[in-house]
Amino acid sequence: MGTISLEHSDRLYWLGRYTERFFTTMKALGRQFDKMIGTEHGYTDYLNCFGLPDIYTDNRDFIRRLLFDKNNANSAAYSLERAYDNGIVLREEISTDSLSFLQMAIDTMYKAQQSSNVRLALLPLEDIVYSFWGSINEHIYDDEIRNIIYIGKTVERLDMYIRMKYPFNIVEKEFVRLLKNLNRVPKGTPYRYSTKYLSDLVEILGTEEDYMKDAEKAVDSLGHLFETEEVFV
Amino acid sequence: MTQQVQFTKAVGNASEINELLRRYGVKFGIYKNGVFNEQFFPFDPIPRVITAEDFQSMEKGLAQRVKALNEFLFDIYHEKKIVHDGIIPEDFIYISKGYLAECEGITPKNNVYSHISGIDLVQAKNGEWYILEDNLRIPSGASYPLIARDLTRIAAPQAFEENPIIDNRGYAELLKETMENVNCGGARAILTPGRYNAAYFEHSYLAELTDSVLVQNDELFVEDNILYYHTYSGGKSRIGVLYRRIADEYLDPLTFLPESLIGIPNLMEAYRSGNVGIINAPGNGVADDKGIYYFVPKMIKYYLGEEPILKNAPTYLPFYEEDMKYVMEHLDKLVIKDVAEAGGYGVVFGSKLTKEKLEEFRKTIIAEPRRFIAQEVIDFLDLPIIEDNETVMRKADLRAFVLSGAETKVWASGLTRFSRNPDSFVVNSSQGGGFKDTWVLSR
Amino acid sequence: MKRVNFFYSTKLTFDDYVHNHSFALRVIPPETDTQHILSCSLNIAPYIPTKQTVDAFGNNVTAGYMRDDHRFLDFEIKGSAQVNHNKRRTDYMPCYLYQSQYTKPDNGLKTFYESIKKKCTGTVAEKAEYICNILSGTVEYEKGFTDTTTTAEQAFALKKGVCQDFSHILISLLRMEGIPARYIAGLAFCDGETHSWVEYWTGDHWEGIDPANNCPVNDDYIVISQGRDFRDCAIDRGVMFGKYTKQLQLVRSEMT
Repeated sequence: MGTISLEHSDRLYWLGRYTERFFTTMKALGRQFDKMIGTEHGYTDYLNCFGLPDIYTDNRDFIRRLLFDKNNANSAAYSLERAYDNGIVLREEISTDSLSFLQMAIDTMYKAQQSSNVRLALLPLEDIVYSFWGSINEHIYDDEIRNIIYIGKTVERLDMYIRMKYPFNIVEKEFVRLLKNLNRVPKGTPYRYSTKYLSDLVEILGTEEDYMKDAEKAVDSLGHLFETEEVFV
Repeated sequence: MTQQVQFTKAVGNASEINELLRRYGVKFGIYKNGVFNEQFFPFDPIPRVITAEDFQSMEKGLAQRVKALNEFLFDIYHEKKIVHDGIIPEDFIYISKGYLAECEGITPKNNVYSHISGIDLVQAKNGEWYILEDNLRIPSGASYPLIARDLTRIAAPQAFEENPIIDNRGYAELLKETMENVNCGGARAILTPGRYNAAYFEHSYLAELTDSVLVQNDELFVEDNILYYHTYSGGKSRIGVLYRRIADEYLDPLTFLPESLIGIPNLMEAYRSGNVGIINAPGNGVADDKGIYYFVPKMIKYYLGEEPILKNAPTYLPFYEEDMKYVMEHLDKLVIKDVAEAGGYGVVFGSKLTKEKLEEFRKTIIAEPRRFIAQEVIDFLDLPIIEDNETVMRKADLRAFVLSGAETKVWASGLTRFSRNPDSFVVNSSQGGGFKDTWVLSR
Repeated sequence: MKRVNFFYSTKLTFDDYVHNHSFALRVIPPETDTQHILSCSLNIAPYIPTKQTVDAFGNNVTAGYMRDDHRFLDFEIKGSAQVNHNKRRTDYMPCYLYQSQYTKPDNGLKTFYESIKKKCTGTVAEKAEYICNILSGTVEYEKGFTDTTTTAEQAFALKKGVCQDFSHILISLLRMEGIPARYIAGLAFCDGETHSWVEYWTGDHWEGIDPANNCPVNDDYIVISQGRDFRDCAIDRGVMFGKYTKQLQLVRSEMT
């Protein structure tokens, strides 16, 4: 196959982001589920991380809707749908096999929703998502192209981790991973970083102190990382 | 018949295979009340079996038919000898919506017009096969039996050990050869109107299997009469052959419908200049018009000097006085088809009309004789399908795929569609039908 | 026989920058039996490379693509030709006998045809002249009521139109009468923009007739493009992208 199209590179990036958003949301909700046992409205800290209003009646309502409500843009189901939307138009790049894992994830979510023990029913999702990434690794031969989906994945993970105030040592590791990915992007291609925002990130994520202080700015810079810089001659 | 029922157990159970088909996303899109839904295409595990002997004659007959149709298309867009020689009345060509004057004089690479032909057949109770219609524009459906075979071989390997079934999975290679035969230098590409198209699964699956780029119109442009796609690094990459899955009228807004939003401006200029192959050729609709169908046996004699091997269903053209008389006398027994409609629409069974409707319809035919063809209702050989754990008999047809590359080859498989409604003759997937695997036996 | 100089220009100006602009111009007059092109130059600004082909109807097509932002597209032709209507054109296509998108008649136009059919007799030329004559007494030449999307039946219902509409109605009527007819876009001495007229097939050659002026076509007419109706003959067609693509079109032509 020849070079991929501009449209497809964009899709790959967002496939990476949404798959990761789905995965991280699932894991975070799993932990939240555990924390909430024996509490009332034990989810407010979760909502605060993302600046979301409390529109939920109780713990159960919160978990159900953040897992399964496709109309809630912060739910796991929503992210999975968006991942599928991007994946479905990439069949010939990522393979029918890779795509089948997204379909399995959707089917598993659907079954879990009917199940009496939701957490138990959701357990296979972890296997499925890891298999998806294994399959992506297998089926995209071109390093430069594979790198695009990994950039999406790492940007998303970093964004979620910072918002959820993960410890500095974990965030730092993910940031190093992102830097390695970014270094592989050739100049003049869409996922070449903006020097300005990257240097902001390097500064903020350089020490624990700055990270604690400027986490919000870090999220903002991450959001602008691929903005094209105006060149004045 | 008994032979077919005995395969029931051999290919595993329906839910297992349907589960696998689900997993691999074998879907087709459908619009209901303006809302897009993806549906799984229901698969029935009892295969249709075509004996080696049957297939041999079918293969010859289909290749013969498609060769004649390709000759016809070349003739119509060049000298029109078949009209001058009085075999087909001029009217039938130029009133046909599928005839595109814009394509006059264009000679596609290697003179191939219909690269991928989907010929629909039915088997009558007496075992005889009849051609129902030719689809020479963008026939779809090959991907379903292709992926189903992959999955049934996993679900029920013993069936394939015990029966001499020709492996149908060479379709991808066949398609690739067909595309390469008209490649004018560049990548292979499949043009889709997008993921909300009914056949999107097929577009993307065939792109994967043939190593083609799957593109939409906004990724493409024509510069210096060469077709390119925008690459992600800001450059351009040339396309040498375009397997397009959008209708002729929408292909190029600067030649056809100016309001087309899914076309590629100046694609026809690139095509006319011989810089890109288009599969299937624009303008093919003139040959698969329901009115032209009547003349295909005559074409075979005219162009190839051969007797047609496969029969048409007995057809009448109200356009001819003699036929009109017959149609009027037997209207309540015939099936009438509107030549302008497709996808199972515009098909009327005289036997199902009330007396008043029949009279009304009679007037419509007299007023517009060119718009209709009439056919004898063929007594279909029903096929067994499993419904709620029971075997029931349903109407089914077969879409055979004929690929015209350097040679004309018939794919040893096909799409068997069946109607889920016991009273219906219409097997179209957009009207709720399902499909089966089609086994062609090697001996 | 007459030697004429011709000039034609179009200036397209867009409200804002447009990009990925594809266009197809049918503006270079074809070499035919009745017109010998002595010289013809096409200038396009901004400069972009173009390619020439000849379409199914015998028109010269100039195709181009501008990827970068631009706010205008100008093109002009300048040249001279030897016109001789004593010679005959014989480039027949069967499709000209059949109604096309712009000429398909509705009941109004069909009824009108039925009402004049009886008196329409004689040779093909006599029939054509008769229909043209009746038409010119029925429809009024008036600008501002129709545009390039108006069909024959719509213009006929209005009983008003410009040269394009007269041509479409005449073609529709001729085809109903079983006379093949085609649409011509071109330049004529009488008009400061482009003009349009009709050619009908006599049985062995094409004859020109100008329904807007109800007169035969002579050496004062230069053919630019021809086809079943306006759609095949549009001098410029384009597709472009941009925020506001409202365009202003200025057309000028001259013949000396």
